[in-house]
Amino acid sequence: MNIYIQAATQISAQEPIGNAWFHRPLRFTERYVRSIDPDFKEYINPMEARRMGKILKRALATSLHVVRKTGIDQPDAIITGTGLGCIENTEKFLTAMVRDNEMYLQPTYFMQSTHNTISSQIALHLKCNKYNTTYAQRGISFESSLLDAYMQFELGKIKSALVAGHDEMTPDYFVLLDKINYWKKGEVNEAVLHKSDSVGSFAGEASACFMLGNKKTDFSICELKGVDLLFNPTPQRIKEAIEEMLAKHNLQIKEIDAVMTGINGDKDNDAVYHQLQRQLFPETPMAWYKHLFGESFTACGLGMFTAATAIQEQLLPADYLFNRDVKLKGIKHILLYNHFQNKDHSLILLSSC
Amino acid sequence: MNEHILVTGMGIITGLGYGKEATWNALLSKRSGIGKMKYLQTVHADYPVSEVKMSDAEMRDFLGIPAGKIITRTPLLGIMALKEAIKEAQLEEKRPRRIVFINGTTVGGMEKSEQYYPEFINTEAYIAAHDCGTSCEAIAETFDGFDMITTISTACSSAANAIILGANLIKTGRVDAAVVGGTECLSKFHLNGFSTLMILDKEPCKPFDANRVGLTLGEGAAYLVLEKEQDAKNRGVQPICKLSGYANTCDAFHQTASSPDGQGAYLAMRDALDDANLKPEDIDYINAHGTGTQNNDVSEGTAIMRVFNDKIPPVSSTKSFTGHTTSAAGSVESVISILALQHDFIPANLNFNTPMPELSFTPVKDNVTKKLHHVLTNSFGFGGNDSACIFSKIE
Repeated sequence: MNIYIQAATQISAQEPIGNAWFHRPLRFTERYVRSIDPDFKEYINPMEARRMGKILKRALATSLHVVRKTGIDQPDAIITGTGLGCIENTEKFLTAMVRDNEMYLQPTYFMQSTHNTISSQIALHLKCNKYNTTYAQRGISFESSLLDAYMQFELGKIKSALVAGHDEMTPDYFVLLDKINYWKKGEVNEAVLHKSDSVGSFAGEASACFMLGNKKTDFSICELKGVDLLFNPTPQRIKEAIEEMLAKHNLQIKEIDAVMTGINGDKDNDAVYHQLQRQLFPETPMAWYKHLFGESFTACGLGMFTAATAIQEQLLPADYLFNRDVKLKGIKHILLYNHFQNKDHSLILLSSC
Repeated sequence: MNEHILVTGMGIITGLGYGKEATWNALLSKRSGIGKMKYLQTVHADYPVSEVKMSDAEMRDFLGIPAGKIITRTPLLGIMALKEAIKEAQLEEKRPRRIVFINGTTVGGMEKSEQYYPEFINTEAYIAAHDCGTSCEAIAETFDGFDMITTISTACSSAANAIILGANLIKTGRVDAAVVGGTECLSKFHLNGFSTLMILDKEPCKPFDANRVGLTLGEGAAYLVLEKEQDAKNRGVQPICKLSGYANTCDAFHQTASSPDGQGAYLAMRDALDDANLKPEDIDYINAHGTGTQNNDVSEGTAIMRVFNDKIPPVSSTKSFTGHTTSAAGSVESVISILALQHDFIPANLNFNTPMPELSFTPVKDNVTKKLHHVLTNSFGFGGNDSACIFSKIE
């Protein structure tokens, strides 16, 4: 069984849809960076778009982009990971409910507040009756979606899957999360994030969308070789999981060109990666991406987009390398390792095809 | 890979009480959990609901949760149900190697967020408890043995989809056992949401009745423990029944309404039968989604007619007992379906009087004793997320 990424796209703090920014990514100094939206008219009719929140527009645009690229308009599965779902609509309904003491409420925001609005709106748009689901497990929501798709390929239930991670960060939610130290208090820049001697990261948004398929085509970007999730693992358990995943494909740790980590500038978060690096990959280059996108529950989707691009281009520029200033060439295998508050951990293995 | 997936443990808490026995006794004596609102604080207290008859403090006491620990009602209900499921499957004493916990929820910590929103002054701790994943973690951490966890949020079919994911995780050999289901407490948020959609009944819901007005909300949690036949045997655990088939489809019709011909529901039931390698006539009982809304019951009923033609098995909606437990409904109704299977007994569809002109069948009005081999349970959610699961006796 092989699984290929047939098309991929993103909407983030970097230039939307394509990967032209990959060689010259933007840098940020703000504590809160919102995504750069594409011209939605190319994907959604403006009348329809007016009734949609940001996250839905982004989800539809990225989905339709990979659908057009691959010609697969009836994927066998539509799976979305989202930590917060349609939080903008949730807030609107909640605010009105609290303000007006549960009176005079309109149903629209409620109808589009549930997490599964995203997957179901995509299905509605494509008129697709097939498998459709949504994951909301904090920092591993996207990886949960990927695992679901992976297993269904393995079981021969599907031949294609539209898998995505979407999260928006509203101004209100930014403030709430600020209260519980999700974000750094002072100025944020790459040096501060790299040094990682204080709590918090900076806030970003994420939409990363992939069409997966089981047949290699001329446009296949790379191969998805493994996905795994772990809960409260010991370092030994993480080691075991990585070794199992590599062994399944006859790979040695030394063949991994880079470990793409979720380093985000928060000292407790980053310490976990540094420890793993020392124990497991002392020789393997360590990469990062959250310094270019900001932190969000589904940032790992953007990490996978970046890693897939690196494999396609067989090149990982120094912008993504944690302790190196020389780019890496001939990239064949990237292991993505992500964790959320050292509770939810995930592994993704991508290889050239 | 076509090894049987067995159910080796179950836990449940709803308006009918805590545990399988209390649930069963209520069904047997046709005692509904629906009544006057007591615990949820809302201006809409005139809607009947099916509440779990325990306050948060009582559940915390029962579970021995330390006073300082922040925990919301959704995970509290979950921990109650999890405890029972773990005990029956003997997961503590006879540990499977790798166990996954998959939770379905949509409301998450909303019930506290809505109390403290928008400022969360002096209640910052609840900010982190707002999202769905936190509930899952809070439940999972009460049992020291989950190797993997995740949360499914497909509104009212969440728990059914948790069952499906768990079965796939076992079939692919990633885990040896899966604890799957859902939990949801009542919240002002979704009570008001359903109220603005004008699909709440001021009286206890009347599923499949021509004069139905809408649904009655409930709360609860339920989990199943799934594992392979060989693993259950190796652990020396008595299996309860078989999960013989399942399917997830999408109606792709409207964000909150179901299609008139019930296409998503039709496909879910048809594909679940295929997956189980069963024919429609093999099904002895359908535990319907049956919310009691105008839209659902005609859509689901039409889909049932399309799948089963002139051989429609007995149908009942036990939401007339538990209310609509939303994200937990899939596992709550799976546990009820399995109790039916175990006892060769079909629970009644309460509050039914007048047949629907659109349907060729009427729901089971009174308890029926009947030999059951295969039961099918439907779970449908907003956005057309339709799933069906089939449980079979081990024979």
